[in-house]
Amino acid sequence: MSVAVPVEAVAKAAPIKAVYAHMDALITGIEDLKKAGFRDMIVLTPFPRHEVEDAIYEGEPSPVRWFTLAGGIFGATMAFSLTALTSANWPMILPGGKPVVSVPPFIVITFEGTILWACLATFFAMCLFGRLPASNLPKAVEDERFSNDHFGIVLERVGAQDAERVKSILSHSGALEVSGGDAESVEVHHA
Amino acid sequence: MSEPTYSAVNRDVLKPLFTPTAAYFGLLGLCLAGLAWGGYCWLTQLLWGLGVAGYHPPVFWGVYITTFVFWVGIGHAGTLISAVLFLTRSRWRTGINRAAEAMTIFAVMTAALFPAIHVGRAWYAYWLFPYPNQRQLWVNFKSPLMWDVFAVSTYFTVSTVFFFIGLVPDMASVRDTTKGFTRWLYGAMCLGWRGTDRQWRHYMAAYGFFAALATPLVLSVHSVVSWDFAMAQTPGWHSTIFPPYFVAGAIFSGCAMVITLMLPLAKIFNLESYMHTWHFEHLAKLCLFTGGILTYAYGIEYFIAWYSDNPYEWGTFVDRVNGNYWWVFATMVFCNCIAPLPWYFKKVRTNHVWLFAISILINVGMWFERYNIIASSLSHSFDPGAWVYYVPTYIEWGIMLGSFAWFFLWFLLFVKIMPSVAIAELKEAMRPPLKSDELAAK
Repeated sequence: MSVAVPVEAVAKAAPIKAVYAHMDALITGIEDLKKAGFRDMIVLTPFPRHEVEDAIYEGEPSPVRWFTLAGGIFGATMAFSLTALTSANWPMILPGGKPVVSVPPFIVITFEGTILWACLATFFAMCLFGRLPASNLPKAVEDERFSNDHFGIVLERVGAQDAERVKSILSHSGALEVSGGDAESVEVHHA
Repeated sequence: MSEPTYSAVNRDVLKPLFTPTAAYFGLLGLCLAGLAWGGYCWLTQLLWGLGVAGYHPPVFWGVYITTFVFWVGIGHAGTLISAVLFLTRSRWRTGINRAAEAMTIFAVMTAALFPAIHVGRAWYAYWLFPYPNQRQLWVNFKSPLMWDVFAVSTYFTVSTVFFFIGLVPDMASVRDTTKGFTRWLYGAMCLGWRGTDRQWRHYMAAYGFFAALATPLVLSVHSVVSWDFAMAQTPGWHSTIFPPYFVAGAIFSGCAMVITLMLPLAKIFNLESYMHTWHFEHLAKLCLFTGGILTYAYGIEYFIAWYSDNPYEWGTFVDRVNGNYWWVFATMVFCNCIAPLPWYFKKVRTNHVWLFAISILINVGMWFERYNIIASSLSHSFDPGAWVYYVPTYIEWGIMLGSFAWFFLWFLLFVKIMPSVAIAELKEAMRPPLKSDELAAK
């Protein structure tokens, strides 16, 4: 059974996309947008640059490191438990006379477990925080130039009333081209 | 020489992809033929048992373990270049790291075949892994062979993840130059990568950690492999010098293999502006350094054998020079200690012919080093009544040849389907185009 919900037309601009050929112009664009209060942007580069990261995240470190640490601790615990508990499960003194649970040889396996799980956890965290595999990025980011020799800024959620201002900031920062931002009517459902 | 532009990097690196020539198919065919011969030899061994190998009590380790250690060692240079040189911010890493990482993975994939070949009944190879069997009896974690299983499998997993992560942005570049199904395929392989700030931020954090995690593996994996020998009582093996000696040897042989593979790669695919003589010169220097450590280790082994006054130990070492395996010892010393010395001259280490020729000699020498350690020690152990001369059969040589074909086959496939130079990293190392530069020029 369908319930009738009031539908209200809200003016929202289509995604705005700026393409840059210069790194310093891109940084200016990011900083000017932030100064004007537009922080919700996607910056696209064909390679990583620290100045871009610093301009957006202002030195805040990625949380991936906590997963690396947790993975390492988990791996060490698991690997040592595997060796110690399975040996204790069948307590046999093998030729050579090492005790049932002998720490030095088990350290080797523990070390390998630490590295393995820290690596897997890091990979998982990278995918989790980086939202990979990427599936819900706006169409505007799909530009072949961004994997080649250009940089870009895409703003997805800009109100129609701000679109012109954003476009003007981007143009003034030195963008090669600025597109999108045409007002479109989006239906918003209020339950 | 002026720096190439970003688009030139894309164009040059992606050019060799997907366009196999007749020569390429020729090489591929050669590899397949070698692989078929190796496969035939292994099949013979599977059908008739290990008797077809040249084993004779007490020598039950031979060409297979030699080749296993050889290939694990080859892998080390890739990890050294991709991880250690990343952490030390060495600029000469960029350009050769991708192909070196690929080499690591293919080398470990080749090495991983040998425990299964060596145990004879390959269908029981899963006994190597810890799993609760019917009697609740687990593997012996005190055995260095077990440590090796963990070391090599961890090494393979970490190297593969590291390699894949590095490829992600570059596969996006491949996707953006292709169409249809290929585009879809590369889009899936690069996980839908677009190079957004969010993606790069966590990517770079993770990449640093992968490098930091892979770095101890450079030292640990071959240390563990060396314990396969050093933990045993056998004369010639039972030595604390083995871990550093093996690690130095691994990096030595690995760097030589990088030269062997990448000199032709750069020439054939016109990648010389990305892998230039400067890179190969650095590799040669690394070989000189690790080769020096190796020569020192060879010498100190003899000194300790003599100084220990242990007749069994000294007997084995004298036998290595005077006994049946004198030619193996001589090849090893010539190829590993003497042949690289001309690289001390800049003219020699910047000459591509010399670089290539000496790198081949090092590869040969490092195979014989492992053969020298394994065959001469086992065939000349404590009891003179059990001394034998182990001679490999054509089955063993065939399988070894097949392993080379298998390795080169993967490498050939790699150069046609993946960018052999890390595009994003190359661009990262370049000076970005700046508007301020343009204004200043005006």
